[in-house]
Amino acid sequence: MVGVLQKILFLFVMIAGLWLTYYSVNNLQQIYIEATSAFMKFAVVLIFIFTMLIITRYLILMFFSILQMIKRTADDSLHISTHDVVTIIVPAYNEEDVIIPSLNGVINQTYPNIEIIVIDDGSKDRTYELAKTFEFDDGERSLKVISKVNGGKSRALNYGIERAKGNLICCVDADSKLDSYAIELLVQHFKDPQIAAVAGSISVINTDTFITKLQALEYIQGLNMVKNAQAYVKLVNIIPGPLGMFRKEAMKKVGYYAHDTFAEDCDLTLSLIAHGYKIEFEPDAVAYTEAPENLLDLLKQRYRWTRGILQAIKKNKSFLWQPLKKPTISFVMWYMLFESVFWPFMQIWGDIFMITLALTSGASQFLLFWWIMFTVLDIAGAIYCLLITKEKLSLAAYSIIYRLAFITVINIAKIFATIEEWFNIKMGWGKLERKGRIG
Amino acid sequence: MNLLSFLSMLILAITLLTMVFGVIAYFLYKAREKKKSVDSITYDQALEEENRDLLFFVKD
Repeated sequence: MVGVLQKILFLFVMIAGLWLTYYSVNNLQQIYIEATSAFMKFAVVLIFIFTMLIITRYLILMFFSILQMIKRTADDSLHISTHDVVTIIVPAYNEEDVIIPSLNGVINQTYPNIEIIVIDDGSKDRTYELAKTFEFDDGERSLKVISKVNGGKSRALNYGIERAKGNLICCVDADSKLDSYAIELLVQHFKDPQIAAVAGSISVINTDTFITKLQALEYIQGLNMVKNAQAYVKLVNIIPGPLGMFRKEAMKKVGYYAHDTFAEDCDLTLSLIAHGYKIEFEPDAVAYTEAPENLLDLLKQRYRWTRGILQAIKKNKSFLWQPLKKPTISFVMWYMLFESVFWPFMQIWGDIFMITLALTSGASQFLLFWWIMFTVLDIAGAIYCLLITKEKLSLAAYSIIYRLAFITVINIAKIFATIEEWFNIKMGWGKLERKGRIG
Repeated sequence: MNLLSFLSMLILAITLLTMVFGVIAYFLYKAREKKKSVDSITYDQALEEENRDLLFFVKD
């Protein structure tokens, strides 16, 4: 009964969102007719295009996500296969606060045939000593810790891959904790020889503060709407750092992880897609991760993600202009460019336009409807994602703050990061300090 | 002032303040990172930056 009511609520909010869209577009038409200057007319056209793009993106993602859910429910081809050796690589740099729960999560996997390699990337704390206490080898499973001179995450991962016995490589962040079925669920997708990688699902573990609740909602929506939709066409564009499994042979073909971007996971995924491979998503294989607990740490994380993604796009930019020769990678690249550059710029531009309109013409009600329209659509998306993940429905209420303040602050940081990347301003890795919440 | 006008003004004010806050937060983050990188510089790095000239550290 509760489930039915929740679904009715979702449909109601969705219809309200679409009605508000219709209303806002009608209002835009009125503003266009009344506009006296060419600049204003141009601005209205831009806002119209922006609104249409957002709504189209939103509906397409939701449509494909629902199709993927139906496909998964109908698909009974997932059999438990355990003959593949899986090498789990855990690169670690100064992770003494989280390495113990992280390795406990890796060891407690239900999948039997695993080799675990921890790469201590020249840590200055007790990471190596703590990891060393976990070493074992029982013939079927083993865990070994290797220490190397600090050289960055991508080099640490490649160092581990070179020493891996498994034909499947699972890369796990040392500040994440795996659900015990994660590896077993990821392995099943590799029966299809076209699949080069499978992205795991990420869940925020420290949802006890306001800012982490907002991030939890963002992750739930990002994974269950965006990644699920991408999985329908087997073109997931980023394998997340906390959990991803790769076919070693495919990694070798594209030259493993590259060292010239700050988003090595994104770069590798793009290379795999460019080579014609397919990328899957497994929503039930979960890695729990610690989200930044203060705003400045969050901005630091998003700044690095944005610049890393832009570096990966810049590196592979030639594919942007090959829509006929290489349509798949070209489409993925344009999509990423849209999400990481156009989207933040459009949102901030939209806000500035609405504020200007309100201050100059007094039409502040349009800003209200514009905001309500996006908030209602956000709430509908959140309810849909929370329904399929069986998470607390109360999280949907955070969509109001998400749209009102959170996304604007994040997008401003993304815009600055884009400008800095454009001008090639020097940046560092910017490691986040962990509080050890995954324990 | 009716409810709609009040809400419109409220959203306008919040949107404006959020944008200003977003810009301030970004520069605060940059300032913090800059301070961190200055604080974490090693003696060798400082020497290198100064082109091997002598450095004098004064302890208060």
